[in-house]
Amino acid sequence: MRHFLVMAAFALLASVVFGTVAKDTNRERLLYGAKVFAEFLIIGLALGWILYFIPF
Amino acid sequence: MKLSENSNAVSDEKPPGRAWLMGLVAWFVPGAGHLLQGKWGRAVLLGGAVWICFVVGLAMGGHLFSPQPSDQGSSAWLQVPPMIANLGSGVLYLASWLMGVGFSDDPAHAARATYEYGNTFLLIAGLLNYLCMLDAFDISAGRKS
Repeated sequence: MRHFLVMAAFALLASVVFGTVAKDTNRERLLYGAKVFAEFLIIGLALGWILYFIPF
Repeated sequence: MKLSENSNAVSDEKPPGRAWLMGLVAWFVPGAGHLLQGKWGRAVLLGGAVWICFVVGLAMGGHLFSPQPSDQGSSAWLQVPPMIANLGSGVLYLASWLMGVGFSDDPAHAARATYEYGNTFLLIAGLLNYLCMLDAFDISAGRKS
């Protein structure tokens, strides 16, 4: 659980910066930040499961 | 023909000296580049994210990179890319270096469960601040609102 929280904290901080610098309006920033945050979490979890089955 | 003329026109526009200064300030103190331009919201979000990332990284026992006199050959060169990432944190990196915080290389320190997480947070803090620096530069140069 702690690993997931650290990953979520990392995703949150990175997505705040990406969202703020990448778009022009507040609505676009919010949507893009949320999208990046979700992508970080989903890809992180997916990679975690893929690596779980690799024996080396 | 028109395209090349347009691209020349864009490349001829030199950013004002103030933009370079804002970029430098934004690198040195995360968030300050936006703060000086009156972008309070961005300063809090961007600066806050970088500061929190750096402090959390240090709290988790992360390691800050710098070339060591004991490193020889390729080992010394391998320290340079992460050091460039760490240097992006500006005054945070320099203050840590002056105080000797985060640069220790003892095995007990590296054995902490959160050591690699801390390293990643410290690296990302610097890299994110490079993005913030470019944003502050673009705003000051009038390329961005």
